[in-house]
Amino acid sequence: MQQTEAEYLRILKSRLVGTLTDDELADVLSDYSEHFRMGKANGRKEEELFCSLGSPEDVAREIRATHLVNKAESDRSCGNLLHAIGATLGLGLFNLVFVLVPFILLVVLLFVVFILGIVFTVFGPAAGIYAILQILGLPAFAIWQSPVAGVFFSLGITTFGLLLVIGDYFLARFSYHLGIRYLKWNIGVITGTERVA
Amino acid sequence: MNIQFKKGVLEICVLFVLAHKDCYGYELVAAISKRIDISEGTIYPLLRRLKDEGYVTTYLQESAEGPPRKYYRLTETGRNVEHEQKEEWMRFVASVNALLEGTHDAAD
Repeated sequence: MQQTEAEYLRILKSRLVGTLTDDELADVLSDYSEHFRMGKANGRKEEELFCSLGSPEDVAREIRATHLVNKAESDRSCGNLLHAIGATLGLGLFNLVFVLVPFILLVVLLFVVFILGIVFTVFGPAAGIYAILQILGLPAFAIWQSPVAGVFFSLGITTFGLLLVIGDYFLARFSYHLGIRYLKWNIGVITGTERVA
Repeated sequence: MNIQFKKGVLEICVLFVLAHKDCYGYELVAAISKRIDISEGTIYPLLRRLKDEGYVTTYLQESAEGPPRKYYRLTETGRNVEHEQKEEWMRFVASVNALLEGTHDAAD
């Protein structure tokens, strides 16, 4: 591979086109072409500048991850979050353990709490209806020892189920917010230059 | 030196240099890589993040030779952050040095 300015910019561009907007891409490329221009004005060779900049693939990965995390922050959606996490995983094997595993555990937890909430929310009213029918004197529905207690019990179960679902929603929102902050910190401090060592 | 260690410190270094004076990209990179051995290309993504966070702004300024250059300047927020991190850094380094001197004494 030739270590020239043109090659450096070509790699950056090929890795970032499609992710960044045209304006952002032009801005990134202009930073690096200015760097080459200033370097050459200071008497350094293109090859030398290329080497001290380090791998353009790593730079592109870092810019891409930052961009996708910002996007997931400003425009909350599952798709955007998955893209951001995917890009962060590309920053180093390390992140399989420190990003992917916590993410999967969290998703499982949120899912289990949601299902529990739904189950209670559905079973509560059903048990309540049975209790009311029993109070009305329909023996076919006589499942409660004390139907009056059954009414209160089912009210309790329903409320608990609804609280679980609502709580889960806020927990998901909070995790999203916290997750984005963690990914930003991860990109800034932990990963990115890892491969250059 | 440990690469992760360096990366964490890089942000502080950029803030310190910019607190001293506004710089264009190449100037900033040169100032830092003169002292710290890093891959220079990663400073630009860092500057981009600092700009996203609102710690720095950029402006174009004509230069005597060639096209205008992009200068980076600390914002008010950036200046406050720089101030805090500088104090934190000083305390940290003082503590580590005190520890080092402590072990030195013990070895004598």
